[in-house]
Amino acid sequence: MIKLNVDDLHLSYGSNAILKGVSMQLSRGEVVSLLGPSGSGKTTLLRAVAGLEQPHRGSIRIDGQNVFDGATKLEVPAERRNLGLVFQSYALWPHKTVFENVAYGLILRKTGKEAIAEKVMSALKNLGLGQLAERYPHQLSGGQQQRVAIARALVYNPPVILLDEPLSNLDAKMREEARAWLRELILKLQLSALVVTHDQNEAMAMSDRILLLSEGRIEQQGTPQEMYGNPRTLFCADFMGNNNRIEGRVAERRDGAALLAGEGWQLWGRACGDNAGASGTGMIRLERVRLADGPGENRLRLPLVTSMYLGDRWEYLFHEGELRFRAYGHEPIIAGEHWIEMPRDDLWIF
Amino acid sequence: MKSVRHLALALCAWAALPLAHAQAPAGYPSDYAALVAAAKQEGKVRIYAATDTAAANPLIKDFEALYPGVKVEYSDMNTTELYNRVISEKAAGGTSGDVFWSSSMDLQIKLVNDGFALTYKSPEASKLPDWAVWRNEGYGTTYEPIVFIYNKRLLKPEEVPQSHGDLAKVLAANPERFKGKLTSYDIEKSGVGFLLITQDASLNPAFWDMAKAIGAASPRFQSSSGTMMERVGSGENLLGFNLIGSYALQRAKKDPGIGVVMPKDYTLVMSRIMFITKTAQNPNAAKLWLDYILSRRGQTVIANQSGLGSIRADVEGELTAHGLARTLGNALKPIQVGPGLLTYLDQAKRLEFIKQWQQTAAARK
Amino acid sequence: MSSVAATVPAAAGGFPGRQWSRGMVISLTALAVLAPILLILYQSLLDAPFFDQAAKPGFGAYRFIFDDPDFWSAAKNSCFIAVGMALIAVPLGAALAFLMVRTDLPGQRWLEPLLLIPVFVSPMVLSFGYVVAAGPVGFYSVWFSDLFGGVPWNVYSLTSIAVIAGLTHVPHVYLYASAALKNLGSDVEEAARMSGASPLRVALDVSLPMVMPALLYSAVLVFFLGFEIFGLALVLGDPEGHLVLATYLYKLTNKLGTPSYHLMAAVAVCIIAVTVPLVMLQRHLMKNAAKYVSVKGKAGRQRPLPLGAWRWLAAALIAGWLVVTVLVPLSGIALRSVVNYWGEGVSLVDVLTLDHFRTVFGQPALMRGIWNTVLIGTIGGGLAVICYTAIGLATHRQPDGWSRFVDYLVLVPRAVPGLLAGLAFLWVFLFIPFLSPLRSTIFAVWLAYTVVWLAYGLRLVSSSLLQVGAELEEAARSAGASRARTSRDVTLPLIRHGLLASWLLVFMIFEREYSTAVYLLNPGTEVIGSLLVSLWATGGADMVAALSVINVVLVAVGLGVALRFGVKLHD
Repeated sequence: MIKLNVDDLHLSYGSNAILKGVSMQLSRGEVVSLLGPSGSGKTTLLRAVAGLEQPHRGSIRIDGQNVFDGATKLEVPAERRNLGLVFQSYALWPHKTVFENVAYGLILRKTGKEAIAEKVMSALKNLGLGQLAERYPHQLSGGQQQRVAIARALVYNPPVILLDEPLSNLDAKMREEARAWLRELILKLQLSALVVTHDQNEAMAMSDRILLLSEGRIEQQGTPQEMYGNPRTLFCADFMGNNNRIEGRVAERRDGAALLAGEGWQLWGRACGDNAGASGTGMIRLERVRLADGPGENRLRLPLVTSMYLGDRWEYLFHEGELRFRAYGHEPIIAGEHWIEMPRDDLWIF
Repeated sequence: MKSVRHLALALCAWAALPLAHAQAPAGYPSDYAALVAAAKQEGKVRIYAATDTAAANPLIKDFEALYPGVKVEYSDMNTTELYNRVISEKAAGGTSGDVFWSSSMDLQIKLVNDGFALTYKSPEASKLPDWAVWRNEGYGTTYEPIVFIYNKRLLKPEEVPQSHGDLAKVLAANPERFKGKLTSYDIEKSGVGFLLITQDASLNPAFWDMAKAIGAASPRFQSSSGTMMERVGSGENLLGFNLIGSYALQRAKKDPGIGVVMPKDYTLVMSRIMFITKTAQNPNAAKLWLDYILSRRGQTVIANQSGLGSIRADVEGELTAHGLARTLGNALKPIQVGPGLLTYLDQAKRLEFIKQWQQTAAARK
Repeated sequence: MSSVAATVPAAAGGFPGRQWSRGMVISLTALAVLAPILLILYQSLLDAPFFDQAAKPGFGAYRFIFDDPDFWSAAKNSCFIAVGMALIAVPLGAALAFLMVRTDLPGQRWLEPLLLIPVFVSPMVLSFGYVVAAGPVGFYSVWFSDLFGGVPWNVYSLTSIAVIAGLTHVPHVYLYASAALKNLGSDVEEAARMSGASPLRVALDVSLPMVMPALLYSAVLVFFLGFEIFGLALVLGDPEGHLVLATYLYKLTNKLGTPSYHLMAAVAVCIIAVTVPLVMLQRHLMKNAAKYVSVKGKAGRQRPLPLGAWRWLAAALIAGWLVVTVLVPLSGIALRSVVNYWGEGVSLVDVLTLDHFRTVFGQPALMRGIWNTVLIGTIGGGLAVICYTAIGLATHRQPDGWSRFVDYLVLVPRAVPGLLAGLAFLWVFLFIPFLSPLRSTIFAVWLAYTVVWLAYGLRLVSSSLLQVGAELEEAARSAGASRARTSRDVTLPLIRHGLLASWLLVFMIFEREYSTAVYLLNPGTEVIGSLLVSLWATGGADMVAALSVINVVLVAVGLGVALRFGVKLHD
């Protein structure tokens, strides 16, 4: 069942177009991430769904109800869309206690006093905040505030919950824990959620589907595995992981493969995208580059500049002329020249 | 001392009279009791005045004591404001004052001439000098000589001018001493100041010579008599001319540093003009008030408590027409209440006079 | 853009109640602002008072004033004063802000509340104070000349007026400059010091350019206030014939013998023609300043710059400024209020008296004035803040055409001199039938004050409103609260301290205001400010001094309460 349907949405600030025709769907129990660099329009899309921004074309349907339609000039204000929204800053009302913050949506829905107490307390318990009901937001830690914000958005059972960069205000270590916790919560409560994030790891970990936005358009969408393992555009390939990038000319194309060549080197890779021109860009994930023991197909001999210890592994940096590669390994290697291999299937040529 | 006794006498005289509602005062029409009753019906009289509340308070108290049941609503404002108020309120058609009382004689006569005043022959009219009544509409109510003031501490007795001629001489004799220390009205900002100086111009044959002497002293022109008195009192200025005597004498009582001179050659006398409005909502009470002000009882209060000077010859005291006539005699030149005052309300004439005055008498900047 | 605007009515469709109240607030504001100003404009195009049947349209009024050399001399003087004020107030205000915000100046905590006093003292009071204290035979002048054999200053000169006006407007610049400096992180300055710049170089090369928009903004503000100077010029400039535009306007009341409304209105239109572009310029600068904010450094902890031995000199200079702008005039007026007379050769001990206060307390009109002043400051100030809040909420985070309209609208009264705004309100109250019964009530004065100070009050309120994070309101909206409900449950509770502070500031401004009420003065509408002007004109210097002291005491009480409750007088 489709919980959220966005069709051909256009939005601009003055003459500056932010969304240039975005369409997407969110099914029941599904988590979709809006991913993209800053300025790609992902937060604007989320806010437009929430009713906090005004699109001028397209339509938005929530739970089968039209909430925005550019053609008929229909626009349901934010408060009538019945959505749960978790802000990046959490936006807890500083003058209300945790209980009052969470209860507010229920009060507005004219829920009875006892029902409110019951629902709020059960939401707080669900989120591990049972003892904090009477505290004020400033008395809570960042993680606790985040949970209150989520409880506040969930308590009245909205059909869709919107999360705007929910983890970005937490420090790096807590972020990973919160990510797992949030995913668990979403599954447990069978939430349909739209999450905005700029962190591809977060997007992949939390969502069933990712929408990658670039300059107000959807660049590519799919499951995390598709997005990571089979990008259709250079932008997507580049955005989704840590990559080595090689610029060169395309010397030959054959059977879905292409030969990228430069000053004294050539590499075969998978031909991706619809580029038919003379120059191309090769891209390979850092973790796919292998150290090799001698010459061979798609192997290059390059001097090691440095190796960096990352704790769970080593990162090597090779550099000569226009060629610059980074790779991972499990032990330190000695200075000097090494053979490295770019497996033919893992090198994408756009 | 004398004035107190006088007041007591006057009060006794009034007390001896039968009560007002029982019988009309002597010389009043026989139906005056009906007027009083009608006034009481109205219950109040609204007065717009350009006379300090402090000066008016004794009159208001006495009037309310005389006619219990008629309350006085007294609004004090400056002369131009009063004029503005009158014409704009008439145009707007809302409530306005019943009685207007202002020292700006020319504006008052203009209002009378423009048909704002109710014609009412006060039973007291015959007791007033002829020059003080215009068409049984506008009545002069006070007798206020126009004076020089000087700083007693800083000015030697021989330096004090005793006449307008002296003023010119004193200034000419010692221009450095008086440089920036002579003060008077700024005739552009003060309607009274303008009125007085134009009266000077018509009375004093040597007026423009005097103006030249004044100009040579770089005078400091102010928009109000209060400022002039403050500055002469403090010694910032030494000499001021064309001040309203009633104010100056009162101030001199409090501030021993201020001396007052009534010029011997001629002393202008100003009189506050009062009239009842045609559209008065309380016409009877307004008539009562006008009659009271012109009456001997009212004039006695004016002379002895308000310090404004009585216009009636039959009121005794220092500051009365009677008392002043003894010392100044024919030198007293009352400003006529009548259309002569309108001459300089003609815009072109007025601007021409202002220009000439400024070129001659204003401070060299 | 047009298509965005086109969706607004659609959005409004679902919420007639909300839009209705918003429309109501906006139209009432427009009415209160535009009615007087249009009346002025209309009046300036007639040759007699507009209510006169014989009034004919024409440009005669403009011809008259343009032919009058006094007008041009007044315009020249106004320019001189405005330029002089800006030249004095801006550098001093900037330096003061730098010293207060960035250095280890001693006694900052004590100085801070004192710095703003000149803003809250009525210029009328200040001017009387200067005449009495530093005039040719003022208290201090006499002492000074006894010691040194002469007085090197003349408070009545045009230069003195400009200097006094400049010194009393230092706080205006200080407010903007210090706010900008506080927002400016010390990291950018530290970066400059690390690159080898001395503290002075840092101030000149980094801090100054970065607060430049704020300084420019305040320079325009001060320049523009220079055109509105009335009280100072009335009291100090008049006797030597120095007219400024506002006093020229006042003079026109009498120049022709009968009041020349059309001429006054024409002068007012000329003043507005100067101030409106300035207000627009200010608005433009404000926007630019906002752009600057996005590139500012990180506002973090700031380490004060050590001044070393200079700190005492700096403190002494500030103290000197306060003595000249506050202590001298206020002590002068206080002294005047307890002596019968004064001047050269008068021993003050002999003439001490409390009579003036006794007289004030004995006169019902003056007592009513004091009472009204208190009322208009407390209750009136509170009501004004409520109005400002309503207007603020009507435009809060609704960036549509109506909000822009209100934005410009509130600037209009700012450009009209208070004196004339008062006159225009008198006309409004006279000629709008259902308002006329209210003319002689304090409501008339309150309305005029509220409109005249609209821009100021709205700025106070909206700076509070802007401090409420947009997300806090959006969170309420998505939780299901309508705009009105959001305002009630989230916005208003969050800005209540800000509103309280606004109330106190508006209280002090209303206590101090004088020119607006001059033409509205009536039994029942007396306030101290207008009584001062009126008594000054009729010569009651004793009363003026006593009332001034009472006025200063009222303001001081407000200031005391503000400090007691820890209200920050500026951000």
